[in-house]
Amino acid sequence: MQTSTTKTDHATCPACGLLCDDVTVSWQNGEAKPDVTVKSGKPCGKTVAFFSRPLDVTSPMIAGKQASLAEAIAHAAQLIKKAKAPLVAGLSTDLTGFRAAYQFAQHTQAEMVHMNVQSSLRNTKVLQSTGWQTTTLTEVKNRADMIVCIGTDVVHHNPRFFERAVWTEEAMFTDAKARNIVYLGGDDLNTAPGVSPAGKQPTVLPCATKDLPEVTAALRALLQGKMLKVEAIAGVQVSALTQLVEQLKQAQYAVLIWVAKDLDFPHAELTIQNITESAVILNQQSRAMGLALGGSDGDTTVNYAHTWLDGLTLGEQDISAHDLIVWVNSFSPDKPAPSVNAPVIAFGHPDTQFTTPPEVFIPVATPGLDAVGTLFRVDSSVVLPLKKVRESALPTLAEVLLQLEAKLA
Amino acid sequence: MITLLKNAKVIDPAHGKDGVKEDIYIRDGRIVAKPSDTEKIHQTIDLNGKVVMAGAIDMHSHIGGGKVNIARMMLPEYQETKRYTEPEAHICTPSCTHHATPSTTDTGMHYIEMGYTAAFEPAILAVNARQAHLEMGDTPMIDKGGYAMLGNDDYFLRLLANKADQKAINDYVAWTLHATQTIGIKVVNPGGISAFKFNQRRLNLDENNAHYQVTPRQILQSLSRAVNELGIAKPLHVHCNNLGAAGNFQTTLDTMGASDGIPMHLTHIQFHSYGTEGDKKFSSAAAQIAQALNANKHITADVGQILFGQTVTASGDNMMQHLNAKIANPKKSVIMDIECDAGCGVVPFKYRDQNYVNALQWAIGLEIFLSVEDPWRVFLTTDHPNGAPFTSYPHLIRLLMDKSFRNDAFAKLNLDAQAMSNLTSLNREYSLYEIATMTRAAAAKLIGLNDRGHLGVGAAADITVYTEQEDKEVMFSKPDYVFKDGELVVKDGKVVKVVWGKTHTAKPAFDAGVETGLKDYFDKYHTMQLDNFKISNDEIAQDGRNQVVSHTG
Repeated sequence: MQTSTTKTDHATCPACGLLCDDVTVSWQNGEAKPDVTVKSGKPCGKTVAFFSRPLDVTSPMIAGKQASLAEAIAHAAQLIKKAKAPLVAGLSTDLTGFRAAYQFAQHTQAEMVHMNVQSSLRNTKVLQSTGWQTTTLTEVKNRADMIVCIGTDVVHHNPRFFERAVWTEEAMFTDAKARNIVYLGGDDLNTAPGVSPAGKQPTVLPCATKDLPEVTAALRALLQGKMLKVEAIAGVQVSALTQLVEQLKQAQYAVLIWVAKDLDFPHAELTIQNITESAVILNQQSRAMGLALGGSDGDTTVNYAHTWLDGLTLGEQDISAHDLIVWVNSFSPDKPAPSVNAPVIAFGHPDTQFTTPPEVFIPVATPGLDAVGTLFRVDSSVVLPLKKVRESALPTLAEVLLQLEAKLA
Repeated sequence: MITLLKNAKVIDPAHGKDGVKEDIYIRDGRIVAKPSDTEKIHQTIDLNGKVVMAGAIDMHSHIGGGKVNIARMMLPEYQETKRYTEPEAHICTPSCTHHATPSTTDTGMHYIEMGYTAAFEPAILAVNARQAHLEMGDTPMIDKGGYAMLGNDDYFLRLLANKADQKAINDYVAWTLHATQTIGIKVVNPGGISAFKFNQRRLNLDENNAHYQVTPRQILQSLSRAVNELGIAKPLHVHCNNLGAAGNFQTTLDTMGASDGIPMHLTHIQFHSYGTEGDKKFSSAAAQIAQALNANKHITADVGQILFGQTVTASGDNMMQHLNAKIANPKKSVIMDIECDAGCGVVPFKYRDQNYVNALQWAIGLEIFLSVEDPWRVFLTTDHPNGAPFTSYPHLIRLLMDKSFRNDAFAKLNLDAQAMSNLTSLNREYSLYEIATMTRAAAAKLIGLNDRGHLGVGAAADITVYTEQEDKEVMFSKPDYVFKDGELVVKDGKVVKVVWGKTHTAKPAFDAGVETGLKDYFDKYHTMQLDNFKISNDEIAQDGRNQVVSHTG
């Protein structure tokens, strides 16, 4: 709880990949919950929840029992010295935390894996197979006259996407209010945000997520000028797809959006590739670009930083093949360490609820709330500073890892 | 603490010294005059006449930022090449790492092990500057810095289209240097990256960007003048229009005249020196380019030499890289439009000595090196990693210094390419003094690093010691000693101490009122806050591991 009024302008919200940095967070005297506002519109639920998390400074624990930080670090050091195949997992943290975690993994010869590896790899596989042609949020905001959301409503992951990049007051090169919005496939979509301010309904071409491999392959084939000798693909009329193709070709700047987490089926990378290659075909004559949205738990940041520090992207790991799990989740009390046979050392939010108490739990500061930090936005080119918006006695992940490494020396 | 380097054979072009036998004294990271006899010398290294030069400075090398990291992500197969041992897998030379996009750690280590003590990232997208600095901050051993890209960003193009006065342009350019913590300004395919977003596919020097109705020539005039009037050392860094296109030499010649005599630096000029003669409609225009460089004293250039093997090209020029994507090898590429600021194109290439175009590109680069008379105005680069990885510099130096080695290599090229090059008629062999000029003294002068690139009293003690050898590739691959800011960091070609270097910037004064227009633009059109766009000194300092050095302001 804050004891005086504090206010931070232009705070960056790390709760989703959009990294809205127009957030104002203020505490009035004595209030537990802050007032959270944004420059235009309303803050989304994720942002309010993030900045409203109570400031609980809990004690470190050893096997579920309170311990001092020094004791917890000493016990963690013992576990690490014994381990033959440690794994640093979770890795939900910002750049500063990841740099420390990477150095720690180097020193302890640990492997690393991020909690979102399954969805991240769907994109990475496309990048490493054919590459892609993509754009970023400010380009969408100012140029896109046609936006196709494929297998996603976006807002489930990035609630303010339409407000911040689509239905904007101004755009340099297009009529923002007249954009053509299309949803192609996906389960349980919320298409309401795709309705224009004047009430124009988006085009919705429904099909189940599991049918997107076929439907996106058909879209790509039609763009290539191939004839399809059927009337419908997985319930989507070919005539509707043909109309979509014509609109895409006519667009000044079309954007094809997907969210890897929403494409949760085997070999989803081939569906993503259908989307990205559709943009590549369009770019031969007109302008169109892909855009991968979503992003959370610092996954974009961790993948990027690992790549420059190590030379390689982060891959998959078999958690059961490791004899010690070092679990990092600095951003939220959700997603505690998985239940495994190996001992777990967890660094995380003080309110983390474990089903099985880990061998060692050390609460750490949340970047963007209790500590400054740095994160990549989901569209990859923009990197934003995270602000410290309140005083907290919690140590940062980097501070704790440094102390732990000193114990190992 | 004083270190004495005794019996050095000093090659220091900034002071006209060519092999002068001298002793060098180092104290507190600087070169100092001979101390009085009463002062204690703590460490003496007798160099017995070994060659001593200032630490080398790479004035154009893609070492940090989005493009390079995309290349790393896209090309996991390059990591595999680390394990190759057979000679044909070599990218270029025995000292090569077989790897075009090393990690940040390897980048710093490989540079210092070759005697390089600074490298400058030449294509920092302003909006992506924070990433570039993060990567450079994780690059150990060497000093860093970068050039911010302008000229395709919508804020500048709107100023130009609205006929803003030069002062407004100057303020914006200075503000950008501050906000992005850079030391120079670059323009890539002036107006062309923007034009591509409006579906234009090529842009010539006097052709209008369809939306803004401004030409590349106007952009070059405006930006070169801004840089000049702000008084920063580094002239506008220009990546000309029509990168890599047959016949583009005319654009390059015309570009030299576009700034009305104001200094400009034309980068990777090899990629802009192509004619259209011969059956294959692709020929060397190195002679015309070199002649123009010799005549136009306000122009400097770096070469961007290609060397044979697998590499990856990473450029802000998405308009031209979109065309090049068709000849990607392996067949994949990334093309991006970025934040109404710029773009990028990452395309892997494999340069082959039996390919007519590649073989001629190799020869064109060397023809330019050998035909430009003044080593103070031509710089040794491979446009890392675009022409070849920077680790191939020792090989390139040997090609310049050793005519028979060069001619032997030429004789192995595609025969049609040989027939189209006059390389063997060029008898010049670079001297150590000329190599030291282009890789040290001239590079420091160009960028404005007054206390680097030379060995005078007061200079930062970035010093490289070589054993003079007949095989210059061996000589430059493995210095005996390298000192970084006075500390011995490399011995016998291996790092013995890890240091982190500094970040060099230029911070010319500007009217703070420039932020009024910028704030309005950011609020209306951008997707981030103006305040968060700006990078603070503290962010770069990383709790003291790094340090910002400002050269003007």
